[in-house]
Amino acid sequence: MTRGESRALEPLLDPPPFLDEPVRPVAGSSASIEVERLTKKFGETTADDAISFAVRSGETYGILGPNGAGKTTLIRMLTTLLPPTAGTARIRGRDIVAERPAVRALIGTVSQAVTTDENLTVEENLSVQGKMYGLAGRGLKRMIDRRLSQVGLSDRRRQIARELSGGMRRRLEIARGVLHSPHVLFLDEPTSGLDPQSRRSIWEMLGELKADDPELSVILTTHSMDEADFLCDRVAILDQGRILCEDSPAALKHSLETGERTVIETDRVIGPVDRETLRSLGGSNWRASAPAVVEFQSRPGEGLGRLVAQRLEENGFRVLQLTIAPVTLEDVFFSYTGRGLRTE
Amino acid sequence: MKRPDRVPRPARGAALAVLGIAAICQRAYLTLWRQPVLIISTMLFPLVYLLVLGNSLNRQLRHIPVAVVDEAGNAYASAARRGVMALETGRQLVDAVFLADREEAVRLLHRGVYRGVWILPFRLSPKGPGPAFIGDNTDRFSFDALDQAFRQIWDEIARGSQGKDVADSARLEAYPYLDYLTYLGPAVVCLSIFMGSMVSGGLQVLEDRMYGYHEGYLVTPISTGTLVTGNVLAGTVVASLAGMLVLGAILLLTPVTVAGGAAVAAGAATVFLTSLAISAIWFLLFARARSASVLRGMFGIINALLFFPSGALYPVESYPPWLQAISRVDPLTYGLNALRDLLLRGSPPAAAYPEWVFLLTFALVCGVLTRVLFRREV
Repeated sequence: MTRGESRALEPLLDPPPFLDEPVRPVAGSSASIEVERLTKKFGETTADDAISFAVRSGETYGILGPNGAGKTTLIRMLTTLLPPTAGTARIRGRDIVAERPAVRALIGTVSQAVTTDENLTVEENLSVQGKMYGLAGRGLKRMIDRRLSQVGLSDRRRQIARELSGGMRRRLEIARGVLHSPHVLFLDEPTSGLDPQSRRSIWEMLGELKADDPELSVILTTHSMDEADFLCDRVAILDQGRILCEDSPAALKHSLETGERTVIETDRVIGPVDRETLRSLGGSNWRASAPAVVEFQSRPGEGLGRLVAQRLEENGFRVLQLTIAPVTLEDVFFSYTGRGLRTE
Repeated sequence: MKRPDRVPRPARGAALAVLGIAAICQRAYLTLWRQPVLIISTMLFPLVYLLVLGNSLNRQLRHIPVAVVDEAGNAYASAARRGVMALETGRQLVDAVFLADREEAVRLLHRGVYRGVWILPFRLSPKGPGPAFIGDNTDRFSFDALDQAFRQIWDEIARGSQGKDVADSARLEAYPYLDYLTYLGPAVVCLSIFMGSMVSGGLQVLEDRMYGYHEGYLVTPISTGTLVTGNVLAGTVVASLAGMLVLGAILLLTPVTVAGGAAVAAGAATVFLTSLAISAIWFLLFARARSASVLRGMFGIINALLFFPSGALYPVESYPPWLQAISRVDPLTYGLNALRDLLLRGSPPAAAYPEWVFLLTFALVCGVLTRVLFRREV
């Protein structure tokens, strides 16, 4: 669906009121990452447009957006791989441009690209990486053992990386990202291209890594709503280089006028007059997906679904099926952008 | 800031640089080891090159088809015919056919049946008319060999008839006898260095960029200088390994003259320094490159620009000035000179010192330029 087709949502497309407020770390907790009006332009194209946010120590912050939203560019700027066109960002107080070596020592990254060498064994990959972070000898060996056990690859340490499954290869990437115990971990789409089982096990593994180091801040980009929902303390929705909203997944979902979706199937055709009467009860996005079905969205907890079903029964319809579902982050995304998340 | 207490304290500064270089070299070495095809091509290609090129260029010419047209029928002509028959049975240079018709012989020459026609004209005599040689000059090697051989036969006949003693010019070989195969030895060491440097170092960086591996190490705290040094040294280690194996093979298999163990060590040092210079130039060329097409485009040109002007196959002195200019800045020229001094001329290690200075300077200049050109951003 394109932006033009989402007329019903137009009232919701106004930017949320907090968007232009300055970002402040939550009181009593040190800010791990502070990003202020960070901008990246490639020629005429603006990939990231004055992005500001802050991440607390120990927090998992999700950046949710479709392909091309500017997620990877943002991560590359924060991980010193791309110089910003304007704006600043600090990792634990270190500037990502002026203090690049210090920033590099503080962060760990798991990029979308496969960065482990397929010709090396699991252990050799970690050994090479560890040295580049200044680890050596017994200290390095201890960290390799610890990370391999955390990602569940201890019994694969002598296996050539090429022979690992996609999920295991991703685990190795993550072990590599956290090998040197970074303060901030950047995960750029950590489960893209994996089967549901591997994704789930990587989510659980990330949870364990966080439990092991409660001060570890994680910045995660994804275009998977359930991933953001499962892993993130807070989520920012990024679209066309701008952050549209930012909050915990639950708050984002609850904030929607359309936070609950109801589908009611009846025993016969619902005529235009009946539909109009029902519509006057409230809700939005009313649809007639089939002649005997009404479908609409409403604010969570309002009870409009049951009210409509009740009204239908009063009017002589028999309700065959009543489905009331909470919205997903996908709906949140849709309400802010007018587009589905997977729309390129 | 509280961190889990089991985390070891990481090295910084010079210690980090050393660890970074070690890590890059470790990876290059392991990558090479895990890809036998690379080892085989790196080590075997130059040896095959040596055997094929050495044997094909080193062979004496044989069985060149020629026609001899005897129009004279006198004693001189008979002597000339005997000379040709001697050439046929002795050196086997020619397969000779004796024809009576000059026009027929020339016609067959033009059809490619004969490479040369030797005409012994009517009233052949040392005072004139002398024999005439018509040769197929599309094949310069055969043409020159036949011309020289026929000239020699006639000179001897003429000299014999006049009863004069013509003194041979003196010829003295300064070094023990060398066949072309042995002469090629140092060139093959240089070729193996060139091949070895290709599969590692700068090209590794290019390959990493193509596959995205580079993001993994660009975000680490090692400095850009360490990255450049590490990759140049990684290339050097792999190229040296290839060069030294071939050097060893040459020392064992060909009759080279080496002035003792010190000269062998100097040969190894030359291999290392040449590898360093060649790895540095590869990395410089790929400091900004991002796609494999650059590599494909460059390889042939670089091969031609480094290998042939070095004098590997033919003496530099005979090159035109522009090619000599390339040769003067080509590190392979210096590596080759040093190796020829040490292996063919039996020179002491000191003979290679000026070449070492050039190779080291060349590598340093390339390294500094690479550091300036190298972009850490993706």
